Amino acid sequence: MSPVDFTTQLAGITLRNPLLTCSGTYGFGEEYTAYCPLESLGGITLKGITPLPRLGNPVPRLAETPAGLLNAVGLENPGLDEFVKSYLPKVRMLPTAAIANISGFSLEDYVQLARALQKDSGLAALEVNISCPNVKHGGMHFGTDPQSAQEVIAAVKAETDLPVIAKLSPNVTDIVGMARAVQLGGADALSLINTLLGMQIDIHRQRPVLANTFGGLSGPAIKPVAVRMVWQVFQAVDLPIIGMGGITTWQDAVEFLLAGATVVSIGTGNFVNPQAPLEILKGINDYCAQRGFASVRDLVGLAHN
Amino acid sequence: MLIEGQVVIHERLGDEDQRLRKLVLKGPIAQTAKAGQFVAIQVQDFSISSFDPLLRRPISLAGISSERDEITLLYRIQGRGTEILARAKCGDKLSVMGPLGKGFSLPDEGELWLVTGGIGIFPLYPLAQSALAQGLTVRLFWGGENQSFLESAGLSSWQGLGIPIHLSTLDGSLGQKGLVTVQLKELLEKHAISGGKIRVATCGPKKMMQAVTDLCLDYKVPVEVSLEERMGCAVGACLGCVVTLTDEAGTLIHKKVCQDGPVFQGEEVVWDESC
Repeated sequence: MSPVDFTTQLAGITLRNPLLTCSGTYGFGEEYTAYCPLESLGGITLKGITPLPRLGNPVPRLAETPAGLLNAVGLENPGLDEFVKSYLPKVRMLPTAAIANISGFSLEDYVQLARALQKDSGLAALEVNISCPNVKHGGMHFGTDPQSAQEVIAAVKAETDLPVIAKLSPNVTDIVGMARAVQLGGADALSLINTLLGMQIDIHRQRPVLANTFGGLSGPAIKPVAVRMVWQVFQAVDLPIIGMGGITTWQDAVEFLLAGATVVSIGTGNFVNPQAPLEILKGINDYCAQRGFASVRDLVGLAHN
Repeated sequence: MLIEGQVVIHERLGDEDQRLRKLVLKGPIAQTAKAGQFVAIQVQDFSISSFDPLLRRPISLAGISSERDEITLLYRIQGRGTEILARAKCGDKLSVMGPLGKGFSLPDEGELWLVTGGIGIFPLYPLAQSALAQGLTVRLFWGGENQSFLESAGLSSWQGLGIPIHLSTLDGSLGQKGLVTVQLKELLEKHAISGGKIRVATCGPKKMMQAVTDLCLDYKVPVEVSLEERMGCAVGACLGCVVTLTDEAGTLIHKKVCQDGPVFQGEEVVWDESC
């Protein structure tokens, strides 16, 4: 049996396999190396950065839900200057593709970040977070209004020579409309989906659990929503999709590929099993080999046929 | 490291009303572990895999035996995760990440005073063992709800170490009635007169650790505190479990309980900002 071809093209970059890790779940690449060698991954998406440093939200920032996790970290990050000075030199040396994730509170914020991050920085792509639910007046505004989303992506695209990935919020009624808008803005690929806005109340204290009241829901609980959105966008929009939202096992990953994702990304699943990416890759490989698929690319969108 | 730790002992600890359990796992984590570190253990139902509960549970190391390749975890059943963990049987294999975080440090000389309340006692036992092995003098201040709790939570093992022990209980059923800090203050006062090097290590309820830290600062005694926060990844990636500290310049900063801690210098901690 010949080996399954895992090589994946995404927005002009070549990945050794179609498996990424999600922004905010994998730090800046150094945290999981004892559990999962970076060279086994197609790439990693770095913790989101903003122009200025942010301490983020107060604790509690996490609340576990049935098969899910609410988080309200609030974009804690070292800021652009510190990222470029202290983190980027290490990121350049990582043995896998590194995708930066940028967030802003205004169009100017996104422009500033995009201008500072170019191909010569050693990054593979820019993921634009227009969908963070955890900051006031934050990214989600851009992610729920198609016109704003298009403008942000167009502004970023005009400033950087890196491929631009738009990370979309699921907290909309028409995900296809949002996808079309960022395509018009010039996005090279889509990340689907960010977290679903949720909350949990402590019935003993009679107060919200999260200090921020609301948080973003991730984990297996949101997977069916994510698969549905990947499916709809794949049918309507001709852009490669990075599927994410609750992928924890290889079966989950295959489901996203069949729905139309070119690449899959593991987020909260890493917390459950720090070797999840390795097990998922093996599972996809065996699935393809047993069914006679020469390339993982053969799976993409197959469930639509 | 990530191991499949085999359950070799899993039993009730003391009085059933206390809901305490002792779990001994076989595996190489003990080889590199030190007191104050923890493991992140998967608490799924072991017969059928599921993702509810989703997250691993951080549990401190209450015993480290590198000769036997065993770690001991002591815990209280107080939620769904620990309810499910309590069902693990001898011979079962549990997915364990660890050792995680940074543990307590030991002074080169002098006395190590351990100040604790409730089940905060658990990570201090291996610390006492290491300190005694290094020839340090160890003293324990331990506050609990009542006699039944203290006896269930391992008082006799502590007595076996042959160190001075100052007990307090809320109901006065054993030791002095009241808070652990009363006896700590008395001895700090005495010691301030006689002199001598002391280091304090504390683990327990936040309010207690804050009071212990305040006392230690008053008497200029260095204190290490072991903090707790809701944890996601346990390796420093998700920023769920941050604690607010002040740096040397007095600026507020965040550190991660899982990776930078759980042990921090008491004087750095901004208690009101941390849960």
